Amino acid sequence: MSQSPACPRIGVYVCHCGMNIAKQVAVEAVTEFAARLPGVAVARHYKFMCSDPGQELIQQDIKESGLERVVVASCSPLLHEATFRKACAAGGLNPFCFQMANIREQVAWVTADKGRATSKAKALIAAAVERVSRAQPLERKRLAVGDKVVIVGGGIAGIHAALTIADAGKKVYLVEREPTIGGHMAKFDKTFPTLDCAACILTPKMSSVKNHPNIELMSYSEVEKVEGFAGNFKITIQKKPRYVHEELCVGCGECVDACVFPKAKFPSEFDEGLALRKPVYMPFPQATPAVVVIDPNTCLQLTKGKCKQKCVEACQRGAIDLKQEPEQVEVEAAAVIVATGFKTFDPRGLPQYGYGRYGNVYTSLEVERMVNASGPTGGEVVLKDGAKPRSVAIIHCVGSRDKKTHPWCSRVCCMYSLKLAHLVKERSGADVFSFYIDMRTPGKGYEEFYDRLLEEGVHFIRGRVSHITDWAMTKAEEGKLVVSAEDSLIGVTRRIPVDMVILSVGLEPQPDAQEVRKKFNISCSQEGWFLERHPKLAPVATFTDGVWIAGACQGPKDIPDTVAQAGAAASEALALIDKGYVEIEPNTAEVDPEACSGCKTCLGMCPYHAIRRDEEKGVAVVNEALCKGCGTCVAACPSGAISQHMFTDDEIYQELEGILSYV
Amino acid sequence: MPGLQIQRRVKYQEELDADFPRRVADMPGAADLNRCIQCGTCSATCPVSSFMDLTPRRVVAMTRAGFKEEVLRSNTIWLCASCYSCTVECPKGIKITDVMYALKRLAIQERAYPRHFPTPVLAREFFHKVRQTGRSNEGQIATVMILKTNPLKLLRQIPLGLKLLVKGRMSLWTEKMSGNKRQLQDLLDYMDTHKELR
Repeated sequence: MSQSPACPRIGVYVCHCGMNIAKQVAVEAVTEFAARLPGVAVARHYKFMCSDPGQELIQQDIKESGLERVVVASCSPLLHEATFRKACAAGGLNPFCFQMANIREQVAWVTADKGRATSKAKALIAAAVERVSRAQPLERKRLAVGDKVVIVGGGIAGIHAALTIADAGKKVYLVEREPTIGGHMAKFDKTFPTLDCAACILTPKMSSVKNHPNIELMSYSEVEKVEGFAGNFKITIQKKPRYVHEELCVGCGECVDACVFPKAKFPSEFDEGLALRKPVYMPFPQATPAVVVIDPNTCLQLTKGKCKQKCVEACQRGAIDLKQEPEQVEVEAAAVIVATGFKTFDPRGLPQYGYGRYGNVYTSLEVERMVNASGPTGGEVVLKDGAKPRSVAIIHCVGSRDKKTHPWCSRVCCMYSLKLAHLVKERSGADVFSFYIDMRTPGKGYEEFYDRLLEEGVHFIRGRVSHITDWAMTKAEEGKLVVSAEDSLIGVTRRIPVDMVILSVGLEPQPDAQEVRKKFNISCSQEGWFLERHPKLAPVATFTDGVWIAGACQGPKDIPDTVAQAGAAASEALALIDKGYVEIEPNTAEVDPEACSGCKTCLGMCPYHAIRRDEEKGVAVVNEALCKGCGTCVAACPSGAISQHMFTDDEIYQELEGILSYV
Repeated sequence: MPGLQIQRRVKYQEELDADFPRRVADMPGAADLNRCIQCGTCSATCPVSSFMDLTPRRVVAMTRAGFKEEVLRSNTIWLCASCYSCTVECPKGIKITDVMYALKRLAIQERAYPRHFPTPVLAREFFHKVRQTGRSNEGQIATVMILKTNPLKLLRQIPLGLKLLVKGRMSLWTEKMSGNKRQLQDLLDYMDTHKELR
């Protein structure tokens, strides 16, 4: 063990990670190699460095051998950097005098040849040792956090999270882009597997949101801009003009009656186009807030500038204002919960199913409205000509489990298809044929519900439908929609003539998920769902501190799972607020005022607006709370006046030196 | 190489009997037919399924879908040895052996069973004999069954018959029920007029 007086005393710990590393890397040889590196006072290998005895080893060596720097060669720092920093701190060493070498993900798991894996591990450890010798002790800074939460999305996830946080006494801004909260759940008649009425369980929560003193409901609004960081976000919200003053409107509907259009003429968004509405309308009777909205794309005054404006006349409270402009509001928040939900798959992408071509081919969401007692048909299941269907086909996995559309299972379709089968049978007495690939009913009471439907006599046919046609091959098929599929349990191809087809469409990310993702600086999985920090252990956290996700924006899920996630996200946000502070990683940039020429190059480069110019001294100053340590300014500074803690030039050159000279 | 056999396999809905599943489910023990989840436990546990043209699972699937012809003409229902393995193992508690009995009865009613297959003939002759005399007589039933299904076999059975006769295991005389035969007749008549008891 060589040791020059200038070199700090370094401890190196090589982890076996069970067999994960040890089966590919000769850990003993690597440890012997490490022991001979300059400055290394202690080199050990151990089965599991992250275990308590492993951490104990580090602490003991710091105390007994007077270690001043520590290197652990194990897994990715994403997994255990925090663990080992804590171990260093517990041993009395500054936690930033620590370096990790990743010899699992970057070596053992990816290098097939054992000899090459071992030399690669040696090189990485040499680099880490060289680098850590130049590491400087640093301190984390603490910043106080606020106590308000912004929740984006007013579906059942947003509603549940908002009520949880508001009940804990914290202020919530609930931002919903539609004129009313309620989301998809408000459109459903019944919920599986209990068949309890969706409106009966949702609308009380919706009015609680409206009446809660701690919730500020911002409907018909969208988040424009997010600045700041965990604990101290500044969020700009744009209120879209609904051409009605929310505080004046009582939702009496006089304006709707008075509108110059004598009859409803435009497809209602809430009723999936199965019913019509006027340009001034209330989305549905229990809309929250109970305020009308004027559609700028169909209102005569707003499109053509010419109208008698009967609505304005009719409103005795003077709530209608056709000159309303968008309004921007800036709010402060400690935490953000993104609960922007999903979109259903558009089956026009699968022309073989004839949606849009055959009038009696419906999407499941349309049928949800149809079976709803307050829906366009008053809960009756009817064909386009008003007759009751005598046979109905339900086709599962439309836009799911299909490489050409979406490869994933949408998780809720089997269950909602069973529910619709029950409701259609109950309302119309029709024979129901349900075409499925696999029947997926994982959930409390779900398999029992399937059992019930089997007993009710729904015809379940295992097989994916190839096409739907009105081309009759036999007399009985004339005037019907014929569904073709292989009955794979019987082993024959069947043609089944029906009156109505329901396409059980899958769930997909919102079309603007990418824009929303960028606004909140969170990640998306390959499919476009918002990415959780860890699929198992951090399912509602994101890679951005202070931003949580809940509900179907993270992936397809049903109401119980959505509500569970919303509750989890709410309590994690409350935990941050309750803690009262956030710690800032010290990997921030620092300007050397002696070297800075005050040229302002860095100001424009910083993506986080963390640098300002001290006009008095004529130099740039970095706000450590805003700086994310990206290093852009360091590279851009023409005078070389900016350096970044934990990534100084010295550290990086030394690391390169290490990796190049030892193997 | 023999020519390729080409057969139309598509099934039109009108070729099926929509009423068939209900008729089967209405028979004793077959009511739970609809609860089948097509797991195939019955076929796997059945000791004779390897000889069947349709496995028990497929029989249930096809019964439910209304494939009356195929089901009633299959050898499956006649090969069933009534061992009750399927009924014991079925995760949904379906009495599959009873379903097989129900299908056998329907096949007999519809005269869809294979004419020279001994099982249905034996069942009929047994019932006929009991109804007539109140007693079963193996010798007579076996003789009639063989005559009706495969008369040539009778010659081969003569040595066995003689041995049974000598040992007193078989009787040529018709035994009759002692006591009131009327009571049995009343019982059977009652069954005939009260279909709900079946």
